[in-house]
Amino acid sequence: MEATFILGLAILLIGVLAVAFVRPKTYVARLINLEIPGWGLLLVMLAYDETLALLTFIAVTAISTFVIVRLMEWRDESC
Amino acid sequence: MILTYSIGLFVAFAVTGIAFFALMRETDGLHRLLLTDLVEVVTLAFIALVGTDLAEALILPGLVVGTSELIALSEIYRVKEGFNRPPSDGLQIEVMETAPPILAALLVGYGIILSGFSGGAVAGLGVIFYFLSRDHHERFEVIETASGYSWVIWIFAFFTFMIFPERWFFAVMLAGSAILVKVMAKMSIIGTMRGGPNV
Repeated sequence: MEATFILGLAILLIGVLAVAFVRPKTYVARLINLEIPGWGLLLVMLAYDETLALLTFIAVTAISTFVIVRLMEWRDESC
Repeated sequence: MILTYSIGLFVAFAVTGIAFFALMRETDGLHRLLLTDLVEVVTLAFIALVGTDLAEALILPGLVVGTSELIALSEIYRVKEGFNRPPSDGLQIEVMETAPPILAALLVGYGIILSGFSGGAVAGLGVIFYFLSRDHHERFEVIETASGYSWVIWIFAFFTFMIFPERWFFAVMLAGSAILVKVMAKMSIIGTMRGGPNV
């Protein structure tokens, strides 16, 4: 439990830094980097055996990615 | 145990600070929307650190509210910036024709086994994938009617809990299947957000 928890916190920290100070500063790079803190959060949830929360988080993250990709499509079409 | 919680709380506060700092420095709208998503992830870490059933109970509505907020904000941003030309057809490759039914069937099957709120979320995700990758010509009034009836069954199950507590197993089965249909119907609407007939 200890190793999973510490690894999760480390990945969460690295992921937040990667999203906050993203290089190159493009929308797609930031969207892809958003998966890293998600993985950290999943490992923290795994350390505490929160199955329901973990499954729902995976499902909902997929939807939010869909929403943002769709917004980018609209933007590319109109600019 | 207490030490790990303190360390976790410290890291969670640190990452929330970094996320809000980045949000403060950012001026571009779409970048800010992406950072809002990041803030949602890091603040869920606080709830996850509680580590009991309370955490699971709090995370479920938090995630659902967060997603609906993201959808609403993205719509507002789209209208405000005047992006009013709909995107052309997506990827026209063979795998987009064959994969969605298999993926959707797997997810819906697993969701029905899970049942309840999470089952509805998983099955609804399968329906979303199907609708997003395919043209949809379903009659959505029928799905909405099914959703309304399942809401009635859910309320009925709760009255059964209160009036006939000895029939609790029947009520659990009713409530679990009804909320499955309810959540799945509502989430399937998201899959139609590219627009189309009957929506």
